[in-house]
Amino acid sequence: MAAPVNIQTPSKTWELSLYELHRSPQEAIMDGTEVAVSPRSLHSELMCPICLDMLKNTMTTKECLHRFCSDCIVTALRSGNKECPTCRKKLVSRRSLRRDSNFDALISKIYPSRDEYEAHQRQVLERLNRLHNKEALSSSIEEGLRQQARYRNHRVKKPTQESDNTTFSGGEDNGDARSHLSHDSAPSHTPHTPPRDDGSGPEGDSGSPTPPLRHHKEGPASEIELVFRPHPQLVHTQDYNQTRYVKTTANATVDHLSKYLALRIALEDRGREQEGGGGEEKGTTGGGDIGEGGEGSSLSNISEKQYTIYIMTRGGQFSTLNGSLTLELVNEKYWKVRKPLELYYAPTKDQQQPQPPAAQREG
Amino acid sequence: MASQNMDPAAAAASSTAALKGSESGGTSARGSVSKRLQQELMTLMMSGNKGISAFPESDNLFKWVGTIDGAQGTVYEGLRYRLSLEFPAGYPYQAPHVKFVTPCFHPNVDEHGFICLDILKDKWSALYDVRSILLSIQSLLGEPNNESPLNMVAAELWDDQKAFKAHLHSTFKK
Ligand SMILES: [Zn+2]
Ligand SMILES: [Zn+2]
Repeated sequence: MAAPVNIQTPSKTWELSLYELHRSPQEAIMDGTEVAVSPRSLHSELMCPICLDMLKNTMTTKECLHRFCSDCIVTALRSGNKECPTCRKKLVSRRSLRRDSNFDALISKIYPSRDEYEAHQRQVLERLNRLHNKEALSSSIEEGLRQQARYRNHRVKKPTQESDNTTFSGGEDNGDARSHLSHDSAPSHTPHTPPRDDGSGPEGDSGSPTPPLRHHKEGPASEIELVFRPHPQLVHTQDYNQTRYVKTTANATVDHLSKYLALRIALEDRGREQEGGGGEEKGTTGGGDIGEGGEGSSLSNISEKQYTIYIMTRGGQFSTLNGSLTLELVNEKYWKVRKPLELYYAPTKDQQQPQPPAAQREG
Repeated sequence: MASQNMDPAAAAASSTAALKGSESGGTSARGSVSKRLQQELMTLMMSGNKGISAFPESDNLFKWVGTIDGAQGTVYEGLRYRLSLEFPAGYPYQAPHVKFVTPCFHPNVDEHGFICLDILKDKWSALYDVRSILLSIQSLLGEPNNESPLNMVAAELWDDQKAFKAHLHSTFKK
């Protein structure tokens, strides 16, 4: 696969990236050697950009090499413009596509119990349709993620070599999460989504033992899975005895996580209020005011300051995490083991009393 | 159950269909739409975009409320707009119906809140999502297309940014 560097003929010049110029050929692995692939980059590689689910009966566009589920791309071509949904290259007909059975085989290798996983997904959706409220919605999202992690073949491991300081250099300026979703590849008219990931992300790090499966110019953020528990010393267990499973982009910050949590808890409180018919006895700790108020409005008061995020250090101490740290950094700095990052949360101390809402309120 | 807005019979029917293996097109399509919307919601909540937000309205996953903050450095800075997004059964192959709920004085927005934006019409792609739509509208606010205005007054006033801003802010109603 890897061609010698000097192959360019004078008639045709290729723009080679620094990585391409310096990389050496990869030996094909013929024995049983296991190679670690980051589960974070895995998900975005295996995802269909139309249904946002795992690729199923993969079809690849012949010219631009974009992948979709067979059903998804066929429906897209039937109902829309005759162009690649990802890059708008003309797609005349189904004949502009080819089956990618190698990719299907790859997926079934990684997710051997996919059928089980999908059956479960159906159940979750079904239950969601029946319950049909926000609480069910958000908890089913969590459940889905948890199941996905469970059904994934566990031999896929996180590379450990990334934990030295070299990877931090690229990570620093990635604090802005705005340009990191995989859909930025869509032909966008927004000047707001510059593809600034090029080469700066961990995938561009040539010290990594495995080269990326294919170069992602759009740079979808790598993902990180984490387990989220209430702080055992600061939170009464009957208040928040839930363990939460969260998957997010690795460049999300501790503040993002904290805000997400505040939103989740506000929604759960509201759900409980609706169910309990106004029962007053729910010992909400801090931020109790966020559950009140009718539709929509209360959610705008949610802030990342309501909850503090902690990590357990080696000595069993809880240390507070700075809000501006990215989760990737947290993972690499504090959590060097091959299992999902575990974090703890508790209401922020000086926010325990009801907060006057910030200056601007939403109408 | 006042908030129940789904026919219980339909719900029961859809669950049996799912158990049988989802061969019927309609119900499985609805299932895949809600699956995709859930994924979008998750990403939106976790991505921490500044200046945009979106969430399902009440219990209905197919109708969302979004907000857009006017971008810094534009005449819309400091104003927050609410929008409604309705997802057809053909989403994401068909664009959602997006309109301003908060009245918006803008060359490409009419008095009913309808927006003239190519990606919501013929330039729609299944890869667009709530987030990219809201970001596009946010940038449309600051960079209108004055060639095909829906609001002539706004289009004519646009060149005089000072007057535009004064009018915009004095007439802004949440
Ligand atoms: Zn698909
Ligand atoms: Zn393409």
